[in-house]
Amino acid sequence: MIGGSVGALAAVPLAALLTGVLLELILGRALSPRGKGWVAVGSGLAAFAGALGLVPPIAGGKALGATLFPWDTGVPLRYQVDGLSLVFVLMATGIGSAILLYCVRYMAGEREGATRFYALMLTFMAGLVNLVCSADLLLAYLSWEVIGLCSYFLVGFWYRDPAASEGARKVLVMTHLPGYALLAAILLLHGRTGSFLWTDPAIRQAFTGEIFLLVLVAAMAKSVLFPLHTWIPEAMQAPTPVSALLHSACYVKAGVYLVARTYSLAPWSAVWSDTVVALGCVTMLVGALFALIQVDLKRLLAFSTISQLGFILTGLGLGTGLGVAAGIFYCLSHGLFKATLFLCAGVVQHATGTRDLTRLGGLATRLPGTTRLWLVAAAAIIGVPLTNGFVAKWLLFTAALDSGRALVVLIAWLASVFSSFYILKATVSVFYGELPAWLRERQIAEAAPSMQAGMGILAALCVLVGIAPQLLVDWVVAPAVHSLGFTWAGKVSWLGAPMGPAGSYGIAGAITALVALLAGLGAYGLMRRPRAKPVGLFTGGDPLPLSDSTLDARDFVGTIEDAFRPAYRFADPDPIYRAAWGRLTALADGLDRVVTPLVEGYPLWAILAGGVVVLALMWVL
Amino acid sequence: MTANWDLTFLGLFLLLFAVVAALATVLPQGDRRWWWLATLLAGLVASGLVVGVGWTRSLLIEAAGFVAVALVWNEGTLAAARAARCFLLLLIVSAVCLAAGLLLVGTGRNQPPVLHDLLAVGLVAVGFGLKLALVPFYFWLPGVAAASKPMTTLLIVGVVDVAAFLELAHLRVAHAWVVTDWQGLWLALALCSMLGGALLALAQQDVKRMLAFSTIDDMGYLLVGVVAGPGIGLSGALLGALSHAAMKTLLFGAVAVAEGREGHAVTLDSRGLAATYPVSAAAFILGALGILGVPPIFGFLGRWRLYLAGVEQGGAPVLLGMLLATSLAVLYYARTIHRVWLGHPGGSDPGGEPRLAAAVLLALMILVVLLGLFPGWLTGRLS
Repeated sequence: MIGGSVGALAAVPLAALLTGVLLELILGRALSPRGKGWVAVGSGLAAFAGALGLVPPIAGGKALGATLFPWDTGVPLRYQVDGLSLVFVLMATGIGSAILLYCVRYMAGEREGATRFYALMLTFMAGLVNLVCSADLLLAYLSWEVIGLCSYFLVGFWYRDPAASEGARKVLVMTHLPGYALLAAILLLHGRTGSFLWTDPAIRQAFTGEIFLLVLVAAMAKSVLFPLHTWIPEAMQAPTPVSALLHSACYVKAGVYLVARTYSLAPWSAVWSDTVVALGCVTMLVGALFALIQVDLKRLLAFSTISQLGFILTGLGLGTGLGVAAGIFYCLSHGLFKATLFLCAGVVQHATGTRDLTRLGGLATRLPGTTRLWLVAAAAIIGVPLTNGFVAKWLLFTAALDSGRALVVLIAWLASVFSSFYILKATVSVFYGELPAWLRERQIAEAAPSMQAGMGILAALCVLVGIAPQLLVDWVVAPAVHSLGFTWAGKVSWLGAPMGPAGSYGIAGAITALVALLAGLGAYGLMRRPRAKPVGLFTGGDPLPLSDSTLDARDFVGTIEDAFRPAYRFADPDPIYRAAWGRLTALADGLDRVVTPLVEGYPLWAILAGGVVVLALMWVL
Repeated sequence: MTANWDLTFLGLFLLLFAVVAALATVLPQGDRRWWWLATLLAGLVASGLVVGVGWTRSLLIEAAGFVAVALVWNEGTLAAARAARCFLLLLIVSAVCLAAGLLLVGTGRNQPPVLHDLLAVGLVAVGFGLKLALVPFYFWLPGVAAASKPMTTLLIVGVVDVAAFLELAHLRVAHAWVVTDWQGLWLALALCSMLGGALLALAQQDVKRMLAFSTIDDMGYLLVGVVAGPGIGLSGALLGALSHAAMKTLLFGAVAVAEGREGHAVTLDSRGLAATYPVSAAAFILGALGILGVPPIFGFLGRWRLYLAGVEQGGAPVLLGMLLATSLAVLYYARTIHRVWLGHPGGSDPGGEPRLAAAVLLALMILVVLLGLFPGWLTGRLS
């Protein structure tokens, strides 16, 4: 471990972000919304630069430690930054900065709440950095709650809107309550060991199955794993950059961090591994199934996030070096492509005023830049070669096969097929087909340059990492895997092909495919392109279900709902939660109706009864 | 228990009185008599803390309790008169129980315990149970909260009750056997208060009654710290009591603004008050999060210590009981925040919150967040 001034480097990202928060609060009245946006971007970039400065020492296999300041008596703010921490610091600061760049124009019209917005976004990023860098579990919990509060306040950003208010309430209840499981785990560990430091060897001895379960419950809620996932569609009431940063790229990855960190705390048993893999697989399928039937673009992406988190957890749960590498790589890749998709959805909503897939269409002609970026990210989520999504899936499938879990491959393949369907549905419904009449009269402007820059950076990284994944694997993923105690010697080469004799065939095949693709594009470019015109819909002779000649997202949804109706009923836990709430309030009301008239109506008798209760307790206990 | 703690609580109470005075200036809580009574109450409690531990302090704090009865009576309504009678009854009974109990405690402890010890502890438990509104002795507090103006209730739950709690903490140090030999009794009272208070709070429509049950709930946690004793437990309890007073100031302050401007009690039927009173809404939300012990607000400092004390006293079952009670509290506070404060405004336009009230609440919010982020300077001095 490195300490001293080098160790103090670890504090740079946090310091940069907190400085940004202070500047937002102090300069709030003086700056315009755009000015505040640029302050936030500057702070994010400074933090990202600090994070990049951590890469060389950590890629070399070292961990950085430093005590930053004494927080509470006996609980100092102590950092332990290793490879796993760095993954999330880079994600929070890098993806965060790109999204903040997008926000400069997106939130330019927000005169009232801009200070609040940027302060919360920067606080969130700082909270996540602190969470993954803290050596002290109590302060990690503090950061866990800080990012939870940021999510709560940002989902309820437009608090006058009842939908936003109710969404925020659901977010608070469903993420905060399971967080007590994490607190219980930390306090029980302290009770057994007298230590809050996860680096303390005594923690390893005390980290038992029930502690792991408590940690997993907390992680499930934050990382939208079934059945604690139902808050995220409601969280889509937040401004789109919030959905991009928190609810796809970073906040939902906090649980991923927690699960991965348990590898540092104790060796996993087979039961733990199977539990996480099973959870991951169920989540993959449930998320994808529900994404298929959404007609709200952001809700579709939200359920997609649920499904993709299932992929990530499955990788982590495999318990091998390659599996953990696949999970971490997928985590990073998902952050990139999902953030891009959300930001594009934000452009669509901003331009048209709606996210309803049944009312959209043909926007490729009006939003060509956004369309291109959407297509890149869509290709990534499907897993098209040349994108990071392909590499992520390749690594995951390989890891599953290597560990003898063919069923996992089958389930992941099925979920991937569903992913392709829902993303294609969204793509066609929004960007292709005819522009609806109500949109033809509307002024639809392409996203501003800064917004396109923000999205473009993320999309470009999807392609860069897809073509040269070794950049990410060698410098970021492998150190993270090694920091968790795995001796993974795996290397990947261009396009995600493994190194070695087997890899050379893969590389040759990939190069052949790439040459063929480029040749095809070249030939197409040289041809006389036919003029695009609408054509009739080919239905194979069957009559159309509607009287008009178009099929839209509604029809697709109807077909899927009919086909999977029992699955939808079975896989939605919200009715159970609502019933539990109903029973609880009924119990409370009943107790109040019985007790209150007696106790408050007859105080003397209440005192006497109380005295009897005290005597009885003294007798029994 | 050191003089540092007494000084700290004195400082807190003086701050609280200043906040009450500021809010009462712009949101009338009563007539001239109210001001006299409130000032007298403040003086009695402050004097009690200054004179230090002993019978004089206990008498001064008892006197403050009777002044609080007068404050409630001063409302002049039928409900207030009924509530004041109830309050007076509890004060008389608790004073008698505590006086007798403490006299018996002072004669020393017997091993094995004889009737004299049982009586001593029983009387002390009933006396403090009444004063602190623990379950099953809470009957007086919800009525008082509903019938009184918010600042009156704040003076009771934030000052009088907390001062009484300090007396219990002192007793824990001076005559530890009263608690340690009967841990089961005190833990049972604590858990019943936490869980019973939280469950009954969930059933309330009137926000002030809900806050009263929240106080009962919170007292249960503080009692766990007292049971655990010097070290993490007692420091958690005292920090918890500090934060309880601060957070209740935010909560009742916000309710005072809304009630004062709307002209009627704030209930779960009120809607979208944040649109008209944004600072008060923020104060209520922050106060709620603080009472729940959510970091990084000041309330977390005491709360994590209290949870740890629960682990020490009763292991995982006690911890899980405490977390269950907190979870119930999250539910009732979340419902109140989202029904009453957030969402679409109800329609009336009473003209916004007074600037002084907003400024005072904002200053207090900044203080509780800063104390939560940088607690070391406080806990270091008090450890």
